[in-house]
Amino acid sequence: MSIWLFLLFSILKVAVVTAIFLGGVAYTVLLERKVVGRIQNRWGPSRVGPFGLWQPMVDGLKLFLKEDFIPAGVYRPLYLTAPLIALGCSLLSIAVVPFGSQDITVHGVKVFELADLNIGLLVLLGVTSMSIYGIALAGWSSNNKYSLLGSLRSSAQMISYELALGLSLVGVVLRTGSFSLADIVKAQSAHGALSWNILGGGQIIAFLIYITAAYAETNRAPFDLPEAETELVAGYHTEYSSMKFAMFFMAEYGNMITVSCVATLLFFGGWNSPFGHLFPEPQNIVIQALLALFWFIIKVFFFLFLYIWVRGTLPRFRYDQLMGFGWRYLLPIAMLNIVGTSLVLSALMANS
Amino acid sequence: MHLILFIIFAGFCLAGAINLLLQTHPINSALSLIVVMSSLAVLYLLLGAEFLAIAQIIVYAGAVMVLFTFVVMLLNVGEEEKTHGSKAAKIIGFPAIVAAFSVLTTVILAIQNKLGGVKLSDGVTPMTELSTVLFRDMLLPFELTSVLILVAILGAVALARKEGHR
Amino acid sequence: MNTFAVNYGNLFSITIPETILEVVSLLVLVVDLGFLRKSTQPARMTAACVLGVIGSVLAGLWLLTHSGTASFAGDALVLNSLVAAAQIGILLLTALVLLLSFQAEFSRNPGEYVAIVLLATTGMMLVAAARDLLVIFVALELLSLSLYVLAAFAKSSALSSEAALKYYLFGGMSAALMLFGFSYLYGLTGTTNLNGIAVSLASQGLSPLVVVAMVLVAAGLGFKVAAVPFHLWAPDTYQGAPAPVAALIASGSKVASFAVLVAVTGSLIPAASASRGATWIVLLVWMAGASILLGNLAALAQTSVRRLLAYSAIAHAGYMLLGIAANTPQSGAAVFYYALTYALTTVGAFGVIAVVERNMGSDRFDAFAGLSRRNPLLAASMLIFLLSLAGIPPLVGFWAKFNLFAAVLRAPGVGAWGLGMVIFALAASAVSLYYYLQVLKRVYVVPAMTDEPMAVSALEQLVLLVIALLVALLGIFPSALSGWIPLG
Repeated sequence: MSIWLFLLFSILKVAVVTAIFLGGVAYTVLLERKVVGRIQNRWGPSRVGPFGLWQPMVDGLKLFLKEDFIPAGVYRPLYLTAPLIALGCSLLSIAVVPFGSQDITVHGVKVFELADLNIGLLVLLGVTSMSIYGIALAGWSSNNKYSLLGSLRSSAQMISYELALGLSLVGVVLRTGSFSLADIVKAQSAHGALSWNILGGGQIIAFLIYITAAYAETNRAPFDLPEAETELVAGYHTEYSSMKFAMFFMAEYGNMITVSCVATLLFFGGWNSPFGHLFPEPQNIVIQALLALFWFIIKVFFFLFLYIWVRGTLPRFRYDQLMGFGWRYLLPIAMLNIVGTSLVLSALMANS
Repeated sequence: MHLILFIIFAGFCLAGAINLLLQTHPINSALSLIVVMSSLAVLYLLLGAEFLAIAQIIVYAGAVMVLFTFVVMLLNVGEEEKTHGSKAAKIIGFPAIVAAFSVLTTVILAIQNKLGGVKLSDGVTPMTELSTVLFRDMLLPFELTSVLILVAILGAVALARKEGHR
Repeated sequence: MNTFAVNYGNLFSITIPETILEVVSLLVLVVDLGFLRKSTQPARMTAACVLGVIGSVLAGLWLLTHSGTASFAGDALVLNSLVAAAQIGILLLTALVLLLSFQAEFSRNPGEYVAIVLLATTGMMLVAAARDLLVIFVALELLSLSLYVLAAFAKSSALSSEAALKYYLFGGMSAALMLFGFSYLYGLTGTTNLNGIAVSLASQGLSPLVVVAMVLVAAGLGFKVAAVPFHLWAPDTYQGAPAPVAALIASGSKVASFAVLVAVTGSLIPAASASRGATWIVLLVWMAGASILLGNLAALAQTSVRRLLAYSAIAHAGYMLLGIAANTPQSGAAVFYYALTYALTTVGAFGVIAVVERNMGSDRFDAFAGLSRRNPLLAASMLIFLLSLAGIPPLVGFWAKFNLFAAVLRAPGVGAWGLGMVIFALAASAVSLYYYLQVLKRVYVVPAMTDEPMAVSALEQLVLLVIALLVALLGIFPSALSGWIPLG
């Protein structure tokens, strides 16, 4: 295969994935407004288009056309770069996520994955850890005490929960023996839902830790202290308006989607059907591919729904509770999970 | 391809390092350091050390430097104050550094052909191999490092803790 | 010789003394922070120090009863009689330092203090036994980091912070240089094992890069032993650090560093080729000469006893570097002997300084005035320590110097510089007598401002007397240590 063909395919894949990703972001916002509305016994957006389906477009247009206001006291270079870092990291992390089986290729190019890396999982962690800068710099460069407080809270929170997050993944990695996301999914494909890491893999504790820590990493309720509106106006993006605000907004929802994708891949068998081989596999490769995509999207949707459900129902933590919970409970439990998993695995290995 | 990447990121690395020294605002210096570290990660990747590369990103660029910027923000450090320093440092220091660098470069250039080369390649050291080395051949230094970190934690806590009234 | 492959069982069995220390240090933390939180400060310090002393004595007993030679992980760690002597010496020094810390009031965190002292001791013991660049580096860092922290432990004292910061900045810089040098050595030879490096260096011609690597390594190790021109931290650190910590820096750390210097020298000077060895030896001899000269001259101008000891430490490092440069088994053993006895004497001297400082609030010469009338036993101990440092027979310092210089003169390869340097060193130690006598003059001749007796606890008095007795007895029976250190 020539390098040009490869480049063409790659650019095409990137374009498609980015478009779908941003579309997903827009409609996750709508989903959230709708679902939270129903939870609070109201309709949510319903005026623009059928069921309010054009609402995201209109919102986007509104944000785009708003006056882009830069306050006088800000430190301009960082004030301008911060949203770029936030959105960039958010978009970057989707690159290592495989959406479907790797066996489906066109001219030797894998269709469902932008980059197949041996260390995909670690790259995700690395990008997550870099995304702190977006928020931290935004808060600091705004030269506003609420922004600064928000960004300090968020940096501290993200660093603390990153540990628990990373450690919760170790159990899965131990079980698979690889950091490649595709390999991790393949290891869960044997018996449908029974061999998923959350059930057959015995990683349910790891899953709970992961999902908790991930909510904190994405600054979502009940860990949304960095933008707690009752205390901090709007947290780190108080001084941002128009598209720059929209970039933070998109980054947050993008991160939500990535977290949902990762949870799906690591604990819920990725694109594998929960029924395993109960039903005969369709022969047609296109149907196979679509079926895989279908399961993947269903699972991701479930996690997004869970995000919104949690936001609609749980109250916010207090800051010291948040820190205490992360360090005193999540981290030790994650470590115990690693120890337990490795003991079980070594016992199994000794038996076989 | 690899060579182009190497040149680009080596350039980034040097530019970041020089910028780090020239900037007067601590936060800009910290950010330049992040650039240096991230570019180093790419250089490691080009040499096939993927785990090292990502560890560099996660640990240094991601965690250590966040704490740096965190502290800078908390203290709200302003522009760096220029001390004019001792004259001796300027008069002796700069020529000494130039001399040291030129000696090193001459030495390395002089025996260039005797040294082996390193290939920039797609070849990647598998992580299983790395862990074998780390946990079997290098077990002693590895365990020793954990003791080292324990000392660092103990020391940090003991030194940072507030002394009560005597 | 038993050779051990690498696995956790073997690692544990060969590092049992170090493991004992680590376990005890954790135990100290648990006891101090878990059970004694509400106790008074002296009670906590006493408990922690007692545990620490028990730990080092246990580790020492284990070493005494399990002599023999062994090697771990292809010579990454070796045990032989010299290493055992160094390790037992280090443990003894640590125990003495801890015994002298009972009365120390510089810290509100006795648990952490003793724990870090013990971990530093672990580092020293591993440094003495290590024969692999990687292990050497990590163990040296363990040692140095602990000492940086300890030097800053007196948080209410600005001098202590200054001492720690200077120590830390110099230390970090020189560790970086040393690591740079190690990386070149590894690149040139393809191994981190000292034996492997010796073999590989012997087979390739002397390239300028080897010289660069040697200079860098010399910078790193020169810092640890405080040899000129890497000595700048020493006076400030000796002056500012809390007295027991300064004693530890001046004693155990020195013994460990000289042990590793002897090992590294053995591998950088392969016996087969004299031409390559020359570079390293020239470096050592220059460092030795500069240290002897500067250390002794600068000590003459001091009015603070701690700074005086710091400069004299630099001078002593110079003498020992001469022994290392001679590079024979006998001179290596003589360096061990010198380092151990010097360290013992220095711990004693710092013990006396600690007592005087607690009573007078200063370590200047005036503070020592009339010590002989205020506390004759203390004054007598100080007399023995300082005379031994000056090398007056029949104290142990004399035999240390005698053996060292004799070994240098007897070494085959010393050639032209040997005799000259030894004469120079002898002359310099005659000069050194002057500044030691300056202190003793205050102690015995100059009248005190007050005649009230100097308060000293029974334990401290006892420990200092024991050290003084040891220094005197080892001088009278100089062959007492020959079971471990074959001076030939």
